[in-house]
Amino acid sequence: MSDIRFSGVTRVFQRDGREFPTLAGIDLAVADREFVAIVGPSGCGKTTCLRMAAGLEFPTTGTVAVGGRIVESPGPERAVVFQQFALFPWKSVWDNIDFGLKCKGEPGAGRRARIEQIIGVMGLQGYESAFPHQLSGGMQQRVAIARAYVLEPDVLLMDEPFGALDAQTRTVMQEELVRLARVNPRTVLFITHAVDEAVYLADRVVVMTRRPGAIREIVDVASVRRAERWDRHERIEDVMDQESFVHLRTHIWRLLREQQARNDH
Amino acid sequence: MQPGHSAAIGVATVVLALALWALFTTAIPWIDTARFPAPADVWAALTQITVQGYADARLWRHVAQSSVLVLTGFATACTVGVALGLAMGWSRRAEALLNPVFLLLRPIPPLAWIPLAIVWLGLGDAAKVLVIFMAAFVPAVINTYTGVRAMEPQIVEASSMLGARGPRFVREVLVPAAAPHIFTGLRLSLQASWTTLVAAELVGALYGLGQVLNNAAQDIYPGMILVGMVFVGLCGGLMTAVLGWVERRAMPWRAA
Repeated sequence: MSDIRFSGVTRVFQRDGREFPTLAGIDLAVADREFVAIVGPSGCGKTTCLRMAAGLEFPTTGTVAVGGRIVESPGPERAVVFQQFALFPWKSVWDNIDFGLKCKGEPGAGRRARIEQIIGVMGLQGYESAFPHQLSGGMQQRVAIARAYVLEPDVLLMDEPFGALDAQTRTVMQEELVRLARVNPRTVLFITHAVDEAVYLADRVVVMTRRPGAIREIVDVASVRRAERWDRHERIEDVMDQESFVHLRTHIWRLLREQQARNDH
Repeated sequence: MQPGHSAAIGVATVVLALALWALFTTAIPWIDTARFPAPADVWAALTQITVQGYADARLWRHVAQSSVLVLTGFATACTVGVALGLAMGWSRRAEALLNPVFLLLRPIPPLAWIPLAIVWLGLGDAAKVLVIFMAAFVPAVINTYTGVRAMEPQIVEASSMLGARGPRFVREVLVPAAAPHIFTGLRLSLQASWTTLVAAELVGALYGLGQVLNNAAQDIYPGMILVGMVFVGLCGGLMTAVLGWVERRAMPWRAA
């Protein structure tokens, strides 16, 4: 059981002796093997939520727990995919993927098989000995996802992972992520700016208010996806063409626009 | 410009300089060869030091003596300097502990250590190694420290997320991340080592290229002075080239 539970989480930044609240009380439970996306205006603290689940930042009050244990430090059971990839430039593709397993102390033979498998799944065959700077952005992000997935983490934390990619690569990566999630479902917390992406990928979409961030609404996508049989469609554009998809997307857009309007006044 | 062209131009410049040197010392004697030697004088000095020896030893012995001193001082300084730089860059506590001492020592010119080195260790090799160490140590520490501090925070976060700790973190994350800066430091250290060596040997030594220069100055022997200078340059250049080769081998991800 590897759920994520935010309980009464607030976060206050201190700067020049003044206090800036960035998160105003988040209560959210991501179930085991559920895919939850968070969308919200810039600076609403959605990335802070993810970083707190990762153990890279900590709440001012409240708790974040993964699998029932309060998060106190970063660890391989909570794998992060960063927006800017954060690959090790001095390690080959293979060694980047291998590093986390090596740190866990896994024996060599088992590591080899798992790395080969994930390289196959992510379409990285032939690039094993390449260095990150020799790869395109899309390929680098594949490596970063492979590096996280190979650890078979309890939860996968993805911080705008496709934000730095061009539109076409982004679409391909979104489809691959869905494929990967079908083969090997994980608990996923996914931060994004893109409403389309959130609706396409997630079981539930959390819409946040502007700073200090709070939850405006949680939109259930999974029940619509099941009822409308979105998985009949292989391609992302066909899913996005469904009336039910457009309806959900518009609903989330309106919630976000409402935040924008508040911002303008 | 094509690389072949610039190499050809380089060779042409050197040949031209040598020709002008021969011309104005020998054919049209505008330069007083008692102050600046003619090519033939340098050749004679080179033959003398290689065959009969000069300043109590033959050339190879002077070269070996100086090189061993430089390598000893340089290697010790790099080991200690890189280790300290990594510690100071990574740990605030190590920085708080070491930085004041380092800031105090840093503005002292390496050559100012010579008298103390002689008092502590006498006129032998150990004193010279100490002075070289003092000169080479500073750039190694500073550049390693800078390299660690210039690390991207996301790389540090990624490595802690993956569970990298202790020696593995140092070996596989910290050192490679700082490597480009570390090598800059090592190059500066090597230069400083040779500069300091010559000065340290000028104070007094049995053998060594500095001792050759010292003797030649006392003998007013311009040809030999030039031989000494050229070999200091050759040795320094050779070691820098070797270091450059090591650098390329050590950081394959930086190539192309």
